[in-house]
Amino acid sequence: MLSRQASQEAAHTVNAAGRKRNRWWMTVMPLYLFTIFFVALPIVYLFVLSFLTRAQTWGVVNEFTLDNYLKILKPVYLNTFKESFQMAVLTTLGTLFIGYPFGYLMAKLPKKTKSLMMLCVVIPFWTSALMRMYGWIILFRSNGLLDKVLMGIGLTDSPLKLLYSYPAVLVGMVYSLLPFMILSVYSSTDKMDWSLVEAARDLGATRWTAFFTVTIKMTLPGILSGIILVFIPSMGLFFIADILGGGKVMLVGNLIQNQLQSGRDWPFAAALSVVLMVFTSMMIWIYRKATGVKDLEGLL
Amino acid sequence: MKKRTIRLSAVYQALLLLFMYLPICVVVVYSFNVSRNTTVWTGWTLDWYRKLAGNRSLLEALKNSLILASLSSGAAGIIGTLGAVGMARIEWKTKGAIEYISTIPIMIPEIILGMVFMAFFAMLSLPFGMVTLVLGHTTFCVPYVFMMVKSGLVGIDKSLGEAAKDLGASEIRAFFDITLPLILPAVISGMLLAFAMSLDDVVISIFVTGARTNTLPIRIYTQLKSGVTPEINALCTVMLAVTFLLVGLSRFLGNKISR
Amino acid sequence: MKKGRKSLALLLAAALVSGCLSGCGNNAGEGGQDNAPASDGTTAASASEKKENAGELNIYTWAEYVPQDVIDQFEKETGIRVNYTNFEANEEMLAKLETSKGGEYDIIIASDYIIKIAADEGLVKEIDKEKVPNYSNIDPIFQNFFYDPDNSLTVPYGPGIPLLVYDPSAVTCEITGYGSLWDPSLKDSLALMDSERVVMGMALKTMGESFNTEDLDVIQAAGDKLMELAPNVRVLSQNQTQDFLLSGEVSAAFLFTSQVVLALNQNPELKVVYPEEGLGFGVDAAFIPSQAPNSDNAHAFLNFILDGEVGANVSQQTYYLCPNKASYEFLPEEFQKSLVISTDDVPNGEFIQDVSPEATALHEELWTKFKAALD
Repeated sequence: MLSRQASQEAAHTVNAAGRKRNRWWMTVMPLYLFTIFFVALPIVYLFVLSFLTRAQTWGVVNEFTLDNYLKILKPVYLNTFKESFQMAVLTTLGTLFIGYPFGYLMAKLPKKTKSLMMLCVVIPFWTSALMRMYGWIILFRSNGLLDKVLMGIGLTDSPLKLLYSYPAVLVGMVYSLLPFMILSVYSSTDKMDWSLVEAARDLGATRWTAFFTVTIKMTLPGILSGIILVFIPSMGLFFIADILGGGKVMLVGNLIQNQLQSGRDWPFAAALSVVLMVFTSMMIWIYRKATGVKDLEGLL
Repeated sequence: MKKRTIRLSAVYQALLLLFMYLPICVVVVYSFNVSRNTTVWTGWTLDWYRKLAGNRSLLEALKNSLILASLSSGAAGIIGTLGAVGMARIEWKTKGAIEYISTIPIMIPEIILGMVFMAFFAMLSLPFGMVTLVLGHTTFCVPYVFMMVKSGLVGIDKSLGEAAKDLGASEIRAFFDITLPLILPAVISGMLLAFAMSLDDVVISIFVTGARTNTLPIRIYTQLKSGVTPEINALCTVMLAVTFLLVGLSRFLGNKISR
Repeated sequence: MKKGRKSLALLLAAALVSGCLSGCGNNAGEGGQDNAPASDGTTAASASEKKENAGELNIYTWAEYVPQDVIDQFEKETGIRVNYTNFEANEEMLAKLETSKGGEYDIIIASDYIIKIAADEGLVKEIDKEKVPNYSNIDPIFQNFFYDPDNSLTVPYGPGIPLLVYDPSAVTCEITGYGSLWDPSLKDSLALMDSERVVMGMALKTMGESFNTEDLDVIQAAGDKLMELAPNVRVLSQNQTQDFLLSGEVSAAFLFTSQVVLALNQNPELKVVYPEEGLGFGVDAAFIPSQAPNSDNAHAFLNFILDGEVGANVSQQTYYLCPNKASYEFLPEEFQKSLVISTDDVPNGEFIQDVSPEATALHEELWTKFKAALD
């Protein structure tokens, strides 16, 4: 009895001391409060909404139903999920292969050029995305700038119909999400300990082996956060598909938008969003398990 | 060998920058287009700039957008950075859940998020306007900063801070002197991205704004009836010019200060 | 530390430039009025204080739909400050209007079918015609519609009839109506509206059915028929659809009235077709929400746009039909109520109206299937 009480007391003092020293809880409070209040609560509402019934003309009725989820199982809607997933994976791979070298090389630039480069990467994204998409259209449309250049140098002899197709949407997606990958990779490469690479080189590793064994491993946190930052939004983006795809590519985002607008079926849109959320989270969880990134525990 | 690699990497970087700037060049060029139609070239003019200068509501929308983007990326910068730094140092069970929930706003399409926010803010009877806009935008800005800082923190030796503390520096001093400079590139990247996302958000804004606050993207995306006019190209061009001016100015000032 | 300084400098510069910018914004905003540009928050307040009796007017519609010079003129004549905010889709507008319980906004301009729903929900205020002496200027052709049978709630703003337009140099078959679009020679060369009810409506019309049928079998049949159109569709778009025709991306397109005009302005060689199966028709109209905070100003605005000269100015910039008979004398010779449509056709047009939830859900499903078949 006595000893237990003593040990409890001891634990208590240790705990108190620990708490006194560890005051970092204060710094996470804004994140906790903001997330719980302005993200978690609205999401609870979304979840509830997904079980309600669409009203006759406008709004929702408080009648519980599972129909919204059952409706998603129709092949036509499942197919939309499949297409979105494909697009998201391709987009993520595209940004990784194009963006990784750029972010990596950026970190190797002289200090002054580095910060300038960082701005150069972001500045295009401060102008309206819609206007940039129109820019692509002018470049890529038949008899547009690209066609004229290609026909001018004799590579093709008739206009390519590049726009309004799956590849056009893919290019638009990669373009739009590229800075997330570049900056993620950059911010983790930038503080990398280059002496480790040198050590590997001294031990006889070639440039490339050193790169693949040391550099990639050390920049893994950046790659991971880049993949997450690209994959997550690419499942839900819709206006790129509308503009560069000529409205012909239907992704989950478009489907949800349609249900909210012309369909006026909010509960179904909510159910689609919940499924999308669960699906995206699962993909990221599987990805984490598969790559087994240990010291990133908690990074989703 | 080495020289060639450097040259190759320079070519790669230049090409990728070209890829990123190409559509923007088109936007700039078409701001001088005579035709009201943004996609058919008919000749050079400065008319759209004149029209832009007289368009009060468009300029007001731009002002609102800049204020909104600064406030929400600033708020996200504070919440996200403090959160990521703190999370690395506490051992709470709820940690993972909160991290996960905080990324939901970039996971689901904006349109449904906008609807949900609208209903939620109405429930709290918040007046729709700048306040609701900043709240709404901060939710999707936080994950960018948080993720960036979080990956920036991995590998930073915690003992560095500890050592500073042992040398008598307070925890706060240690944070500002040691940790913050190390993660600064990550904080800035995150905030720049958040700023860009906020500056271009239309869907959430449409739902959470009120009758007195229009933002620039709302203005641009809702020109359904008239078609986008080259005034918008002109505005984008002016914004680009100002941004470059800003960058130049900051480098100039930066050089002065460090000297 | 150096980095910290650099970002400090960046912030400083940012503050400087944005300060300048907002200064400019304010200057432009106060255009002509004599108060000096104050700090951001107070300018609007002091402006409205100055003309307290005039107050504000909150207009809610698509961007640029009410031309800037019309707003400027209204502000100048009345001293009322106009806040002009926008939505992209009618449904977004109604969602906001529901949330504010009919308050917040004073004038809303939106499409026919959504006004019907808003009116049924009790969100539309009856217009006090005493305060709108110009109400009698409305051309009766544009009245007595389903969304406002008693002509007490709305003022027509932008009526239009969507039409087929094609480039005769690029088309080999004869185009007489919606049915012609199924012609195999038009492979990959059509631009249609990205709106399921409009495109499904075309298929329904070719079968001799109404746009608004609620018969699920008929809708299903129209959906099946639509699938055969898939190979011909190059683009679905809501915005600037005329551009695709002008740039040669497509050879035929189904366009809104304003887009037809814009297309013909650029290329007079284009041919316009009144579909033989029957015309569509739609009206964007202005209404006052039930709890509008500045109801008197809203009435003043309705009266203002119904003025003959102002109405003519609006129609010439929006390119829709002119619903104001007092405006006809101010319209240039070639405009004649509309640049492309004769108003005689109006009674033949059919509105696209709201249909039952089951029919709507089926439309959605068929549309999703159609889109999946497009690529």
